[in-house]
Formats: sequence, C-alpha cells, structure tokens
Amino acid sequence: MNQTASAPILTTDGIPLKVSLKKVERKNKIRAFLLVLPLLAFILVTFLVPIADMLARSIDDRHINTVFPKTFEVYEKWDRKDLPSEELYATMFFEVKNSEGYQIGKASTRMNYSKSGWKSLLKKSKRKFKKIEEGPYKEKMIEFDKRWASLEYWKALGVMVDPTTMGYYLNAVDLKFDSNKEIIRQKENRRIYNHIWFKTFKVSFLVMFFCLILGYPISYLLATLPLKYSNLLMICVLLPFWTSLLVRTVAWMVMLQQKGVLNNLLVMSHIIGDENRFQLMYNQTAVIIVMTQILLPFMVLPLYSVMKTIPPTYMRAALNLGASPLHAFYRVYMPNSVPGISAGCMLVFIIAIGYYITPELVGGKDGQMVGNWIAYHLKTTLNWGLCASLGAILLAVMTVLYWAYNKIVGIENIKLG
Amino acid sequence: MNVAWDVVDVLPDQAITGCDEGLFAKVDQSSFIDDLVVAPVSDCVVPQIFWAYTAFYDKAAFPGKKPKSMKDFFDVKKFPGKRGIHTWANALIEMALVADGVKASKVYDVMSTPEGIDRAFAKLDTIKDHVVFWSAGSKPLELVSSGEVVMALAYNGRIGAAILSEGKDFEYIWDGTVLEQEYLVAIKGVNESEALEFLAHASSAVSNAEQAKYIPYGPMRKSSINVIKKGEPWFIKEGGNIDIMPHMPTHPKVLKKAVIADPFWWADNGAEVHERFGAWKGS
Repeated sequence: MNQTASAPILTTDGIPLKVSLKKVERKNKIRAFLLVLPLLAFILVTFLVPIADMLARSIDDRHINTVFPKTFEVYEKWDRKDLPSEELYATMFFEVKNSEGYQIGKASTRMNYSKSGWKSLLKKSKRKFKKIEEGPYKEKMIEFDKRWASLEYWKALGVMVDPTTMGYYLNAVDLKFDSNKEIIRQKENRRIYNHIWFKTFKVSFLVMFFCLILGYPISYLLATLPLKYSNLLMICVLLPFWTSLLVRTVAWMVMLQQKGVLNNLLVMSHIIGDENRFQLMYNQTAVIIVMTQILLPFMVLPLYSVMKTIPPTYMRAALNLGASPLHAFYRVYMPNSVPGISAGCMLVFIIAIGYYITPELVGGKDGQMVGNWIAYHLKTTLNWGLCASLGAILLAVMTVLYWAYNKIVGIENIKLG
Repeated sequence: MNVAWDVVDVLPDQAITGCDEGLFAKVDQSSFIDDLVVAPVSDCVVPQIFWAYTAFYDKAAFPGKKPKSMKDFFDVKKFPGKRGIHTWANALIEMALVADGVKASKVYDVMSTPEGIDRAFAKLDTIKDHVVFWSAGSKPLELVSSGEVVMALAYNGRIGAAILSEGKDFEYIWDGTVLEQEYLVAIKGVNESEALEFLAHASSAVSNAEQAKYIPYGPMRKSSINVIKKGEPWFIKEGGNIDIMPHMPTHPKVLKKAVIADPFWWADNGAEVHERFGAWKGS
C-alpha cells in the first residue's frame, strides 16, 4: 500500500478505522444503556418522580383558583378595606352554587388553612344556596350566616391569589401568613411543630448514641473472636435483623408494659413494689428503647466490616511499644474504626429520623415523631400540602447533614461493608 | 363506570354526600320512617345499626368503688390510672361536655358555641397527662386486659364480643355513650331494583334486630328492640343462647343518658375541631 503516514487508516470497506471503531463503540454504549434502562426507569418512577411531586405539592396553591376563577378576578379589584361589593358576593354565590360538591370540598379545605371556619361556612352555604333563587345576594348571604360579613374571612382569600405559596413551609415551623400576607407566629394553642422537630432530632440522636455505645463492643467481638464463635455471634445479630419490624415492636410491648415481663420480674424479686411499676411503654422512653434494638444491626454491620480490616498487629505493636491498653485503643484502634463509626451513625440517624411505625405503636402521647404527624395529616386532616412540606424539610435536613459530613469527614471515608 | 357493588354499608357523611351527588338510589322510606330513633340523614338510606363509643373497665381493676358515669371517667383523682382514648376528636368532645355536667340532650347546643368547644377542650385537659391513645378497634380491649390502662373508650360491639365470646369480666359505663349511625344504600343504576328489594327486606323490624344475634350493635328501628326483648335469649352462643339486652347501646335506659352523634354538626365543624384536636394531642 502506498500511503503517507498522515492519511487515515482505512478498513477494507474504505471507511476510516477511527469512524468504524466509534460506530462499534457507540453500539456497545447503546447496548449497555439499554441494559440499565429498566433500572433507570424504575428509579425515575418510584423515586425521583414522587420526590418531585412532593416538592411541587408543598408549594402548590392552585386548587382554589381553579374552583373560583371568576371570584378571584373580581377579588383583585377589591380594595380590601371595607366589605366587598355585591358583585363579589354574587360571583362567589354562583360559583359555590354551581360547582361540584367535591371541588368545593377541596377548595374549602385549603381556605380553612388560612382562616379556620371557611370550610364549615362553605359547606353550610352550599346546602343553603340551592334554595336561594334571586338577589340581592350580599344581604341574603349575610342574613343566613353572619360570617359572610366578616372582613377577616374575605381578607384570608388574599393569600391564595398566587398559584404558589410558602404557607405550608411556614406552618411546618409554627408560623403563618396573616390576612395582609405578613409572616406571624401561630396562635399559641396551635404551636406544635417546633416542639416535634426538636423531639424527632432528640430521639434520633439518642437512638444513634445508644446504638454506638452498644454496637461498638459487639462489633469488636465479632471482628476479633475466632471464627466459630464469631459466626454464632453474627447469627445473633442477623436473626433479629431478619425478623419483621412489627413482630419485634409487639414483642417489646409484651416486655415493657406495666404488667409485662420486665415489670413483673422486678416486682417478683421485690426490687420495686407492686404500686411503683415503671412506666416503660407508650412514651418516649419506649420509643428510644425499641428503636435502639431495631436499628442496632445498622450500626453493627458497617462497624464490623471496618474493624475486620484493621490488622490485629497494630494493637499488638502499640502495646509492644509501651502504650497502655486504653491508650493504644484510643490512639490506634479507634482512629482506624472511624469510617465505620461515621457510616453506622449516619445510617442509623437517617433511618431513625423518618421512623413511623414504632413510635406509632409504642410512642403514646409524647413519643410521636414527625413521621407520625405526616401520617396524621395524610389520613385525618387531609392537609397534603403540610405533609409535603414536612417531608421536604426532612429531605433538606438529610441533604445538609450529608453535605456537612462530606466536608468534615469526607464521603470516601464511609464504608458500608 | 364499572361498579362492582349493588348495596353499600355507609356512615352518615358518605350517605349525605353520595345521595347529594346522585350516586345512590332514592328509597321509599314510608315503611319505617315513623319507627326510627332519629330521622334518617338522607332520602337514600334504610336503617341498619347504631354503634357506640362506650367507656368500659375490667371489674378486677376496681375492687372497691366502681366508676359509674362519664364524670368518673374524667375524674383521675377519684379513680386514678390511665385512660385509653382514640386519636380523633369525634365523640370525645361530646363526652367531655357530658363529664363537665352538660345534659346529654343539650350537648350539641353547647357545642355550637365557641365557648362550648373551649369548655370541652378544658375538660379534656384534665385527663391529658393520663391518656394512652389507640387507633385500631382491638387496642382498647388489649390495653384494659393487660392493665396498661384502668378504663378505656371502645366500640361497644367490641366490648360486648369480649364479654360474651371471650368471657372477659368487663363492665360498661353507659353514661355519656355516643351513638353513631350506620345505614345501607343501593347504588343507582346497578341492579337497582333487586338492590332496593333487598333494602326493603333488610330494613324490616325483624331483619334490623337480626344483627344483635351475633354482635351487640343496636337496631335503628324502635320496634326492633321489642323483637329482641320478646325473642330473648337472642344472642347465639354455643352451649346455650344468652340475653343480649344488657349489652344493647339502644336499650331504652341507655338512650336516656346517651348522646346521638349529629353528622351534620361534624360535617360543618369537623375540620376546625380536628385541627384543634391535633394540636391538643401534640402539645
């Protein structure tokens, strides 16, 4: 062949080799992509879309504007000082009268968040309006229920004019918009969320702490005992791990309740009197005890996998060089196990912060966490916007923790096994 | 629309909404309308049962003086110990007012004023530190059986079943019991004529009494109570039937001190009360 060095190498078909190779490579890439496509689609549908939906819901404020479009048009013209004109009353009247029942339900639920009482007013009105045939509507509406003459109610609609709102996020930290769209604190008997946030973090932190205290020695034993003993110990860790969460929670109820195993044993052995049985169930103590037991494997497994890789010779060397056992542990062994500690702590904390079923079953009155309140609003009050904002805040907290952790310890130092 | 149901068992709010929206068929109520304990909530329903939120205790928990009234249920000084209550506001508002001295028949008059609601919550505050919450119907029985609480509220049928079928030594506190209505409806346009025929059959005085043979929920027709009285022992049990009247939430004696829940009040005011109750529960 008579080719200069700079000319492209050709395949037998006369296509440059580079192009041909690229073609084959692209084919492979597409094939590889097709292989991960199901997984990608799965993650998209079950993970990313719901999260996006949740974030959208937490600020969405359209459902009312679509039920009363004309009312809001007229509302814009109102000066918000004196009672609205007959025109606004009449528009509202017909939109309430002619709308579908369930639409009113949805809209009035939202309206009730900005002024308690809208829901009952609209429900009553919807039934009553059917019987009113002609105006003047303003007069008749006020005559039927004097709340129609309340400036507060009308002003409360003002915060719903925009299609998006930060209101749910404010509610999630015990704040709210007043009728002039200023941010104010919730009424005192409605303030609960800051307390619940604090409680959730407190419980999660304590569970993480106790898991570490209990899990560290177990993991150390697992990593250092001869194989035949450590296998047995490993099974002791894994068996509860494989047991249903519900079964373990209920088992703890049997153990801890007032006439349960623990209290009965203490009474029988005369350590406490029959009258002074410990209140260990249906409170925060119960939540911490049960969650610690349930989440313990999530601490033990990453710790174990890290400790397994610490050569026993390090400790021996340290002792040999004259360190006391405590000193050797503190200066040599513990620093080596830090990746495991941080992985375990993060795992336990993340799982604990969103816990629902255990606090629900054993938490009683003061052991309820954020997850329980999300469920309460999801099922009882149907305030999904608030649910979404509480969920989004949880997500944000996790992201910040992760970021801080990455800054301080470095994410490459994490080891899950 | 593909509807699999012909007949549905509904609670009052569903009965009202479904009838308003034309999902349920209108029924001929002339055969029973004068025989009901309360007027039916809509034109689509036939009577079925009353079920009740009722306070109860294990007799063993009170060897001496026994609690007898709703007042006693709310009195943690006279009868110390935990109380099991449900996690939503229905019936609790009514009971708190009864415990605070409001006559059962006047409860909704008081509840219709803002001060009345404040009064109910103030009464609830008095047991706040002594409550254990339940959300599943079987839980209060478990709480009382295990001695975790000394008294609890529960669905009366569950209490009855525990006494009658499991031989538990429970005692009802009928004072301040809150009765809730439950109806049958026919779905419009799906086997409608057969469904209506069934409703006519199911709402006869005898059929209405029939359920009490298996679980002590109360018939809605006044004459059904007489059917049961005459038919005693009515409750079917292996090894000999038993008298069911002492377990009936619609026993004439019980009705005198019971509150019949008003679904219209709850439809109008439920949202605000639930919101406030949520905050009460959490603080």
